[in-house]
Amino acid sequence: MKKLLFLSTLLVSIAFLSACKKDEDKKDPGTLEINFDNIAIVNGVEKQLSLVAPGSADYNYTNEMGQNFNINLLRYFISAIELDGPNGEHFHDEMSASASGAKGYYLIDESIPSSQRVMLENIPAGNYNKITFTVGVDSAGVVDGAAGGVLDPATNKMFWNWNSGYIALKFEGQSDVSNGGTSGTETIADDNQKGIAYHIGGWKNIPGTAFVYNNKQLTFTFDENVKVESKNAPELHMVFDILSMFKGDKMIDFTGNHNVHKPADGVDMANNIAKAFAYDHIHQ
Amino acid sequence: MKKYLFFLLGLIAFAGCKKDDVGTKKFSFEKPVHFPEPTYTFDKNPVTKEGFELGKKLFADPILSVDNSVACNNCHVKSVAFTDPQHSLSLGVEERSGIRNAPSIANMAFMKEFFWDGGGIHLDFVPPNAIENPLEMDEKLAHVVYKLNHHSSYPALFKKAFSGIETITAPYMLYALSQYQVMLVSASSKYDKYKTGDEMLGADELEGLEVFEQKCAACHSGELFTNQDYRNNGLDTEFDDPGRARITESDADLGKFKVPSLRNVALTAPYMHDGRFKTLEEVLEHYSAGVKQSATLAPELQQNGTLGIPLSATEKQRLIDFLKTLTDYDFIQDQRF
Ligand code: HEC
Ligand code: HEC
Repeated sequence: MKKLLFLSTLLVSIAFLSACKKDEDKKDPGTLEINFDNIAIVNGVEKQLSLVAPGSADYNYTNEMGQNFNINLLRYFISAIELDGPNGEHFHDEMSASASGAKGYYLIDESIPSSQRVMLENIPAGNYNKITFTVGVDSAGVVDGAAGGVLDPATNKMFWNWNSGYIALKFEGQSDVSNGGTSGTETIADDNQKGIAYHIGGWKNIPGTAFVYNNKQLTFTFDENVKVESKNAPELHMVFDILSMFKGDKMIDFTGNHNVHKPADGVDMANNIAKAFAYDHIHQ
Repeated sequence: MKKYLFFLLGLIAFAGCKKDDVGTKKFSFEKPVHFPEPTYTFDKNPVTKEGFELGKKLFADPILSVDNSVACNNCHVKSVAFTDPQHSLSLGVEERSGIRNAPSIANMAFMKEFFWDGGGIHLDFVPPNAIENPLEMDEKLAHVVYKLNHHSSYPALFKKAFSGIETITAPYMLYALSQYQVMLVSASSKYDKYKTGDEMLGADELEGLEVFEQKCAACHSGELFTNQDYRNNGLDTEFDDPGRARITESDADLGKFKVPSLRNVALTAPYMHDGRFKTLEEVLEHYSAGVKQSATLAPELQQNGTLGIPLSATEKQRLIDFLKTLTDYDFIQDQRF
């Protein structure tokens, strides 16, 4: 009798255990909210970025060369987001582009707080400790023609008509050492001699010509795992440090080229941009 | 009696069918048999009658310009294969002079890149350049979209052309303009009829074709009469307009421009990227006696140590005889366009 009881308990618990296991495998997919916090790291301290009205001569930032500047506009594209985990977990954000909309492309605009939060959905449950994304819009988003959503050129103002392609990052502001006017900007008046405008882009590989690729694919590893499953709502915070945009292998001198509107002119800054992004922290 | 009724019904049904067939044939894109595959992304934006008609209306509407004064068809005129017959350099709002000559926009569905320097990589992306260029229409895309949304007839026309859209957006406007433009296929010239075996060329024209194949077809190749590449054909020694180098940012491309299609070329004067030549005779004079040396000059134009393409007076005349066979009267008189 005892034996039978034991046997049946064993059986039941095995059944339970395996049921449990099955449940674990079948956890519902979850979400991850990515925050792109634009900051300025001043003396090692992260400060929320502040924009000034165009034309303002209040300079609240100083670049590595000691040149004062301020910011009217900061806007950039993030696309091709992928997540990876220590046990082979993998997620890639679906991408598509047509007149009816764009999936997998995000336009981060410093003046629009909601644009700085990117919600990824339907991520297979699991642990993730790595993110990869591209700053800019690669050829897949361009070669099929006009697209809507954040890729709509009328609303994003991030398209080069003369040299088809999306600007990866647009910066406009003013510096007291700028040595002349700017052209083709959104915020800087034509007669403003102190403007600084950096429109960084370049996605096209032209046969027989050096490839000026200014979109950047970046990968960051987290210091802890993000646990994704339906009942969690984790948040990942990435930061973009504006001051890092102007330093790196090549310092950006506002007295030099202060009016960048084509791929080759933007190479140094694109390389700096790659180092201006960093993983910051996670809220589980 | 019943029999008759059936017969009648059948006839009506048949007629209905037939009409429909003609309707869809007329307003869907068809590749001429002797043409290469189109480059346009029809999978994203298939041509419909409503979309085409909407594109046609937009193309002729100055609402796309800042002061409602300039339409696409100011610079791309149907009767001359959609070029500008009057101005060497295009003329935009407030009579502002542009920097280049308006090219023909026939056969755009087959082109890989657009503009004289190839800066456009998709037909959809061409109109914003004209709309937002201060020297052309000087308007903002967002404002065009605003004007269209507040117009008395456009909102309904867009809804008909693109089912399910709530408001007009720029990409749908660009889709409509492309639907119109991809239909502008010129493939029924005398030369085409010769190619498809429907008509003969005269002896002079055939001689001209032979000269052309020998001396011009290295660049003006295939049924589109362009290899779609960028060449310096010896117009200048110094380059006010960097041409292809504007896009590649490489000195090796200074003064190179897109090899233009020569279809309807007898109609598309003035010639070259800046419209400097008024006649085909002047163009041939350039190739035979006016080619200028420079670092980026095309190798085809400096063979055996001589500049240019040697052409006798008869060869020039025959070439022009041949080039005239590329004029497509059906195209410029097509009621649909
Ligand atoms: C003010 C005159 C003007 C207007 C208005 C104009 N265009 Fe053009 N178009 C030009 C010129 C000049 C070029 C060549 C530009 C260049 O190469 O930089 C051109 C080029 C083009 C091309 C590319 C042709 C090729 O072979 O690469 C297309 C297509 C075109 N235009 C369509 C349009 C459409 C559609 C509109 C209306 C939205 C329009 N254009 C309005 C002058 C004009
Ligand atoms: C090396 C390549 C090359 C060869 C060979 C060549 N062309 Fe061209 N052709 C071009 C290029 C490039 C242009 C445009 C140049 C520009 O506008 O700067 C052009 C322009 C033209 C134009 C003006 C078309 C327009 O719409 O403006 C005509 C006509 C023409 N070529 C005819 C000929 C003929 C006829 C021959 C042979 C005798 C010839 N070409 C040989 C490259 C070539």
